[in-house]
Amino acid sequence: MMHDNDETKFDQWLQDAAKTYNAPPRPTPRDEMWARIEAERARRAARPVIALRPWLRWGLAAAAVLVLGIGIGRWMAHQEPGVPGGPVASADSSRDVVYQVAATQYLSRTETFLTGFRADLRAGRVDTRFTGQARDLLSTTRLLLDSPAADDPRMRALLEELELVLAQISQLEAGRDKRNADLITQDMDQHSVLPKLRSAIPAGPVPLRTQGAI
Amino acid sequence: MDERDLINRVRAGDGIAERALYDAHVDRVYRLAYRLAGDDALAQDFTQETFIRAFAKLDTFRGDSALSTWLHAITTTVVLNGLRKVKRFHQREADLEAADGVTGGPREAEPDLKARLRQAIDALPHGYRTVFVMHDIEGFTHEEIGVALGVETGTSKAQLSRARAKLREALADFAGEWVS
Repeated sequence: MMHDNDETKFDQWLQDAAKTYNAPPRPTPRDEMWARIEAERARRAARPVIALRPWLRWGLAAAAVLVLGIGIGRWMAHQEPGVPGGPVASADSSRDVVYQVAATQYLSRTETFLTGFRADLRAGRVDTRFTGQARDLLSTTRLLLDSPAADDPRMRALLEELELVLAQISQLEAGRDKRNADLITQDMDQHSVLPKLRSAIPAGPVPLRTQGAI
Repeated sequence: MDERDLINRVRAGDGIAERALYDAHVDRVYRLAYRLAGDDALAQDFTQETFIRAFAKLDTFRGDSALSTWLHAITTTVVLNGLRKVKRFHQREADLEAADGVTGGPREAEPDLKARLRQAIDALPHGYRTVFVMHDIEGFTHEEIGVALGVETGTSKAQLSRARAKLREALADFAGEWVS
């Protein structure tokens, strides 16, 4: 049993002793990091990020509400009359639809990409095309992770899994990383990434896939 | 230059002001990232991401708290999310190695105090370790920690107290070191 005095001594000792815990071994590499920050910001700025512009976001939301309204209207027309309190297109639902559209398109692209990656790897090809595409998809994955599309726990889990896979592929060096590429595909198989991805994409042509995508 | 002026200049797209803002805060951001990550490459990645996000979101900074507090909130979010991903990545690597039958031997015990202290801190629950590192090592106040982690000041104090208690327990056989 420790007395208060001992506790105080311990706390003082601990604060001193812990100064060595994960102490940076060298001064802050300011210039090195600044150069990387500038390069990364330039890279991100060069990417088409039209989806993030406010006017387009509102435009998309309005279009989505319109599409949803038409869809609901047509659906209602085929239902039995006299159902009180039918579905109403709320602001939340329109927002969700926008993200569902984005998420479904992203999932379809990622499925195509990963399927191609695995097939080419089996044929003995690992080229720079894959790393570039993986980086692009990785950026989209991160945007979606920060969006309401990731509110659904299953969708979030899938996005996090895809983020890992894409991050690993984006690090591959063309033609020199066969072993790592094999490990990535083993990992994908072990965690059933492609089946999970496919089951998250609703069947049917792309416009219809947006319903229930997440 | 006044910080508010600096922020306004950054918002206006002044590159020199951006660098000045970065220079004013990068040491503490990097040090915090390093303390929490324990790895130079990760600390640099987290620092880089912190400033990229900060510059992108500076328009949303309302000035309710100091800019440093706001930056440290971004830092802790970036670092803690990043560490979760790294942990999962390492878990997968371990899974793959196990599947391949390539497993490393057991790590040798490190009996010295410094190593034991390190192990004990590493073994703290995530929240306790973060508060302990921020308060006892990096000198943040409980108010700053509360803002950075989005918790009440009392929660920060309670977590620090529990962290110290766990460390006392873990390092009990080194009692002579501090009692003497």
